[in-house]
Amino acid sequence: MHNSKIGVYLCNCGTNIAKIVDCPALREYAEALPNVVVSKEYKYMCSNPGQEMIIQDIKDHGLDRVVVAACSPRMHERTFRSAIQTAGLNPYMFEMANIREQCSWVHEDTWAATEKAKALTKAAVLRVLHHEPLERMSVKMCPSTLVIGGGIAGLTTALDLAEAGQQVYIVEKKDQLGGNLARVDLTAPYLDSARDLLTERITRVRENNKIEVMLNSQLKSLEGFVGNFVAAIQIQDGRPVAETKKLEVGNVVVCTGYKEFDAGRITHYGYGKLPNVITSFEFEKMLKAGRVETKEGRIPQYVAIIHCVGSRSQEFHGYCSRVCCMTALKYAHEIKSAIPKCYVSDVYIDMHAFGKGHEDFYKRTSEVKTLFLMYGKNERPVIRKADRGDDCEMLIEVNEKLSGEVIEIPADLVILMVGMEAREDSSEVARSVNISQDKEGWFIESHPKLDPVATTTDGIYIAGTCASPKDIPDTVAQARAAAARILGKIARGKIDVEAVYAEVNQDYCSGCRMCNELCPYSAIEYDEQKRRSKVISAVCKACGACVSSCPSGAIKGRHFTDRQIYAQIEGVLA
Amino acid sequence: MSFEPKIVGFLCQWCSYTGADLAGTSRIQYRPNIRVIRLMCSARVDPSFIAKSLADGADGVLVCGCHPGDCHYAEGNYKTMRRFPFLKKMLAAYGIEDERVRLEWVSASEGQRFADVVNDMTERIRLLGPSRVRSKLQTDKAER
Amino acid sequence: MADKKLQIALYWSAGCGGCDVAVLDTDEFILEVAKLADIRLWPIAVDGKYKDIEAMPDGELDLTLFNGAVRNSENEHMAKLLRKKSKLLIAFGSCAHMGGIPGLANLTTRDDILTTVYLHNPSIETGNQTIPHPETKVDGFSLHIPEFYKRVYKLSDVVDVDYFVPGCPPAPHQVKNVLLAVVGGQLPPKGSVIGASDRAVCDDCAREKTEKKLKRLHRPHEIIQDPKKCLLEQGILCVGPATRSGCGVRCPNTGQGCRGCYGPLPNVIDQGTKFIAALASIIDSRDPKEIQQIIDQTPDMIAIAYRFGLPASLLQRSMRS
Repeated sequence: MHNSKIGVYLCNCGTNIAKIVDCPALREYAEALPNVVVSKEYKYMCSNPGQEMIIQDIKDHGLDRVVVAACSPRMHERTFRSAIQTAGLNPYMFEMANIREQCSWVHEDTWAATEKAKALTKAAVLRVLHHEPLERMSVKMCPSTLVIGGGIAGLTTALDLAEAGQQVYIVEKKDQLGGNLARVDLTAPYLDSARDLLTERITRVRENNKIEVMLNSQLKSLEGFVGNFVAAIQIQDGRPVAETKKLEVGNVVVCTGYKEFDAGRITHYGYGKLPNVITSFEFEKMLKAGRVETKEGRIPQYVAIIHCVGSRSQEFHGYCSRVCCMTALKYAHEIKSAIPKCYVSDVYIDMHAFGKGHEDFYKRTSEVKTLFLMYGKNERPVIRKADRGDDCEMLIEVNEKLSGEVIEIPADLVILMVGMEAREDSSEVARSVNISQDKEGWFIESHPKLDPVATTTDGIYIAGTCASPKDIPDTVAQARAAAARILGKIARGKIDVEAVYAEVNQDYCSGCRMCNELCPYSAIEYDEQKRRSKVISAVCKACGACVSSCPSGAIKGRHFTDRQIYAQIEGVLA
Repeated sequence: MSFEPKIVGFLCQWCSYTGADLAGTSRIQYRPNIRVIRLMCSARVDPSFIAKSLADGADGVLVCGCHPGDCHYAEGNYKTMRRFPFLKKMLAAYGIEDERVRLEWVSASEGQRFADVVNDMTERIRLLGPSRVRSKLQTDKAER
Repeated sequence: MADKKLQIALYWSAGCGGCDVAVLDTDEFILEVAKLADIRLWPIAVDGKYKDIEAMPDGELDLTLFNGAVRNSENEHMAKLLRKKSKLLIAFGSCAHMGGIPGLANLTTRDDILTTVYLHNPSIETGNQTIPHPETKVDGFSLHIPEFYKRVYKLSDVVDVDYFVPGCPPAPHQVKNVLLAVVGGQLPPKGSVIGASDRAVCDDCAREKTEKKLKRLHRPHEIIQDPKKCLLEQGILCVGPATRSGCGVRCPNTGQGCRGCYGPLPNVIDQGTKFIAALASIIDSRDPKEIQQIIDQTPDMIAIAYRFGLPASLLQRSMRS
């Protein structure tokens, strides 16, 4: 350690860092730090020339440790670890200082930001001095996959996997496959039959002997780690008594879908009170039955469609549910086809026609003479029962923004475009597979832009509306992406288990057993003979709870040792 | 020149550190007084880290973890939650002001919240004044 | 082995005398020591004087067992003097090792101590406002007494220490082990803790350990104890898991939880924070109110965590002026 040679590399990240942090000053500061023999700055450290510079310096200067002060380690720790590995160093002889996301991007004061960058760089240098080379273990990778949810996402992902020759298990809570799409008649914007889409999928799934479907079944627990999970499934599926089956799988794809917003929560839409105020799904039922009519069986003369029910609102959900605008236009189209003389009013906030074919569809719908009325986000239309003399059932008052007038429109049937919501059982699902949910309940992806189907838990993928509202094209894209990721993993044949785990030093363990009950993964076992505790490293997830709890300091948290963290504290405060 | 507190932050990789990064990608500005140390889980925070931070000159220590029930490691934040009252009681016996050490739950999507917490803590500690710990320990040493 | 007898000194500074008694508790072994060694200074037992030590050449003493903390200038003076004159200086007992019980005075201030003892004490006669000072002039002469320091220090804060023998007091069988190790020249690297194990008390404790889950704490007398079961598992505070073994498990064997006098384990820099981390981890509750209730059952965090080692902790002393 005393003879260590550290290389420090400061990234300008174009102007992202250089604009705020005085990089030349930081480079000079870093050069004077203990054991630093090389201190350089460069435009983009993560680029090929940037990485090459590090690799060359390792060879030329005999560096045994490297520090990069740049973006968040969550972005590029892996990149630089691979780079130094190429040069022959152990990938763990590396530390990053986050001087972008947590420095240059959040502080305007250039002097203060530079001082902070210096402190963070010093902390990284002092820490890396205590790093030890760590080896990754390789374990086998089970090629079977568990798919939770038998809707369009689940069916698609299962087919891609099975047609590549891999075993798939589909666990579906309900008694049939198809999910929410089974409740839909035609899909926008091309007016394909949802039933045809699904039937094609379901038939192929049923015919594929690599796919085992379990209906009326649920995941009870998931143990293990990527490549080596054991899923306990409670299966009803036609059996008189539910039984629990244990399945060995390598990966899991969560495709649990969404539920619709409860329109009854918005009282002045009168849902549940006015009989002809219905939700979009209730209208789909009508379309599937082939009859557009009021509750009393009459053909409606006036139909109004209201967008953003439960979405884009401060009170309920702030997000846009993405599919409703196109679906509403689809309804306008279908109503006009069924009842050409019907007056259709489309009451919206904004028309979200973002996808392929959407704007065309919008244009075509306005051509079939639909009345479009725009309302403001905070000024919802109000529905009331019409008076006896009126020739319609209900009247809707709209504070119309384009004209600036309050317009009253007649309606015999009102269709509420209810938004998407996370399912009630989503937290149960999240907990059982160990993924996170955001504050709206949607499952969180590993990176919103760069890694939309993976999660922070290795081996667990998410696809479709369970991650966020989306339409069929995006759902299918995600489902296929998840399958592709898994197939790529299976092709490698084995899994590298993280080298960072906790270790009980048998020379210092006194068998007090304080740690035994602490591990949420049951990775700690006690040897009755030797009277010592031990960590099963393959199961350990490196949270460090046992490390800090061990009263005799006998448990070492590899790559997060006390000594390394103390060094960081010293560096950050110097 | 007004007193600029030095705050050490211990953030967990999955929630709070990601939330802090999100503040960055969203360009949410906050006081530059905090220096963050990344850990896998708030449960890794050994109370000695907090004591050492104070002894080495921190005016404040912020520990952030996932909201209860959302820990990436199931229960890590509960362990942190249990340690804190013990630690606070101990620090009180040492005569260290309660506001200098703070535990907050910050999720991966709460970039704004992280910024708000940092700003709030910085100002509170500015009002409290510098921590006397390091200067007293250094004086003790110098007197020997 | 040199012809000359081993030259040793035993000195007590800010301590209680228990460590000296521990040496005497080695029973007949002390007679062996007397045969092997010249005891040049041992205020409690033999007749050496400070000036004898001052007159010695440096390094003349082969071994000094220094017990007691550093509370005043005399303590420091003697620590430095004995360091100069000794080849091996051993911090003997908790006070020298970590500050010991006197170290708890670091929770208060010198002024508070002096005014409490000399002014606000019920046994002081009315009107007597005398507080001792380092220098007092009487009849034109200056009288000096040692300066009472603002806080307590451990021995290694003022001089370079070769070895540490922990315990309050060190167990007599360990005293024997240490002396034999010195005589036999079988010592580990400088700076080590000797006369103790590298594992926690639990390693030597015969009580059965099963599941560590704490629902509430009890004082030792509040429950009928199961003598075979781990004390912590019965809700009795025992710092054993965070304390070096070597004492013979004296306290837990009598139904009293270990109080931590042998100090922290080798990989731990602060005994108290470590024990708090461990204790809090096994609390069997997720409800903040319930957790607070359990914590409130502990009378005094410092007494639990730093009874013998407050000056050796990371924060060392109270920050109150």
